[in-house]
Amino acid sequence: MAVKSESKVAVTIEAPQSSRYINDIKAEIKPRLKELRNSISLIRENWTAMLGIVMVLFIVLMALFAPVLAPAQNAGDPMQIPADLSLPKPPFQDGLPLFGTGGNGIDIYYGVVWGARTTVVTSLYVVLTAALIGLVLGGLAGFYGGKIDEVIMRFTDIFLSMPALILAMAIASILTKSLEHMMFALIIVWWPSYARLIRGQVLSVRENTYVEASRAIGCKRNRILFKHIIPNSISPLIVSITLDLGAVALVSASLSYIGFGVGPGYAEWGRMISDGQRWFLSTITYNGVAYTPWWALVFPGMALLIFTMGCSLIGDGLRDILDPRSRRG
Amino acid sequence: MRLSRYIIRRLLLVIPVLLGVSIFIFTLTRLTGDPVAAYVNEKMSYEQIEMVREQYHLNDPLPQQYLYWLEGIVQGDWGWSRTAAMPVLDAVQYYLPATFELAVISILIAVVMGIALGTRSAIKKNKPFDHATRVISLIGVSIPVFWLGLLLLQLFYFELNLFPVKGRVSEMYIISGSLPGGPTGFYTIDSLLAGNLTLFGDVLWHLALPAITLSFGSIAVILRMQRNSMLEVLGLDYIKTARAKGLDEATVINKHARRNALIPTTTVVGLSFGALLGGAVLTESIFSWPGLGRWSAASITRMDSASILGFCLIVAFIYVMVNLIVDVLYAYLDPRVRLG
Repeated sequence: MAVKSESKVAVTIEAPQSSRYINDIKAEIKPRLKELRNSISLIRENWTAMLGIVMVLFIVLMALFAPVLAPAQNAGDPMQIPADLSLPKPPFQDGLPLFGTGGNGIDIYYGVVWGARTTVVTSLYVVLTAALIGLVLGGLAGFYGGKIDEVIMRFTDIFLSMPALILAMAIASILTKSLEHMMFALIIVWWPSYARLIRGQVLSVRENTYVEASRAIGCKRNRILFKHIIPNSISPLIVSITLDLGAVALVSASLSYIGFGVGPGYAEWGRMISDGQRWFLSTITYNGVAYTPWWALVFPGMALLIFTMGCSLIGDGLRDILDPRSRRG
Repeated sequence: MRLSRYIIRRLLLVIPVLLGVSIFIFTLTRLTGDPVAAYVNEKMSYEQIEMVREQYHLNDPLPQQYLYWLEGIVQGDWGWSRTAAMPVLDAVQYYLPATFELAVISILIAVVMGIALGTRSAIKKNKPFDHATRVISLIGVSIPVFWLGLLLLQLFYFELNLFPVKGRVSEMYIISGSLPGGPTGFYTIDSLLAGNLTLFGDVLWHLALPAITLSFGSIAVILRMQRNSMLEVLGLDYIKTARAKGLDEATVINKHARRNALIPTTTVVGLSFGALLGGAVLTESIFSWPGLGRWSAASITRMDSASILGFCLIVAFIYVMVNLIVDVLYAYLDPRVRLG
């Protein structure tokens, strides 16, 4: 900190106005870039985290390139899986969809590919919104303390006293069934844990001597909060966000599975598993061979597992890397 | 602070949380639509409906309505469950034992397995055993519960025909009416009390798959926590001292290290109980387990919000109580908590 303010003082005396700002920004960014580069090289050494990145990237790329991998057939809504309204057919057969077809003859491969979109978008949207709400409310609670802190923390107490899936069920039960309402319910479920996390971080960070120093040189409260406290509280938040991407994907698939969220035939993995369950433990014949339609639920489940497992691996890796005590100890 | 005073303080802290939960649930019930709809039918005239409204205090301001509602909750009026075709509280009482039995057995499996595996993998750090448990715990936290349940059914019921597909006991016991009408509602305990060992075996046989499904995620969480806290304890000075004074390794691990490593693990047990109650909704639907979870899942398809909210209320209550017990246990095990 001391070095940074010194360089700023030197610049103000000599440089003209415009380059002063540039130097200011440079001085701000440089150490952070160095830290980032350091973290990236550490991730490279951590092969489980790399494996996690590969798994998550696989799903994300599938979501991005869904129209290429499985060209949309329904003109209206590409998320509605094309179906030929026939009995399930087995996977890996000539002239049939790659992963076979499920109940109503839905194309499993198409559903898995487009379902990646639903899962990635839902979990990113829910986690980032919840983290933002948590960041602001938790930051305020921790920094200002007093009544604000009391009110916000009592709210989080209430929300955290119900298991995530059940709370989401309670909220979703009063709304009409749709993907947007499910995401809304999940955001309400998820923000309190972020608020708690950030508040705890802020409380411990603000006791640091560099915060005291900036207070001593007369920094404004907001500047201290947004420039010193929040940036230094953020690394556990990043770990939490990565882990929660997987957790939200799991809970949202569970909600779809039990009947909240999207309707039948929609490209959502949880929904596909519950649709596939209807044919599960029964026997169909195709070209004279008897099959149990396991594929209708195994493929969507595998895709979901790859995503959640990848998130967990990255999250664990990041926890080791971002915690300086475990890194340089 | 004495332990008893800590317990009292902790009990007092539970009250505002439960009140908050009830306000939250009440708000949800009022958001679902006109509450008078639960008490009227299409044959009633406008005046009659108004009378009902008056009778149930539905014309009063919201805070007063809340107080009447809370009074109803305390006195046992939780509304009508369309799914179960009985009052919500009766349905809760009817379905609770099945869920509680499943949850308790699952948490027991999770605690025993999690602690045993976690302790061992900490001792064998970076050996094959440790890597194997790491894979187990990774799968445990990432696998969708409902998917795991379905896969287990496919393998053990459909392919191998080793375990039953649904229910708490075989149909023949239900049809012949020889179910234990015991005091606890737990079929395992009731059948033992009745001295009926074949029935007990049948109950365990039915419990196996749902309990494994439900406990798998919690095993992973507890295992991880126990491994980490065990590793931390093993690095402490008093372990070195114990070894230096020549104690054999088994005593060092069992008497000195594991006991202290258990303390932080107790907290995650309470938290995983919550996850377990959530997982019960999924597990019970898959295994047709006649409990709260299946009832609430059935309520979802019927959009029966009175049942869902009743279920949420009871689960929140159980969850708060379990965490209270865990906190007290924690304070008992670790006196430093009480001083804080």
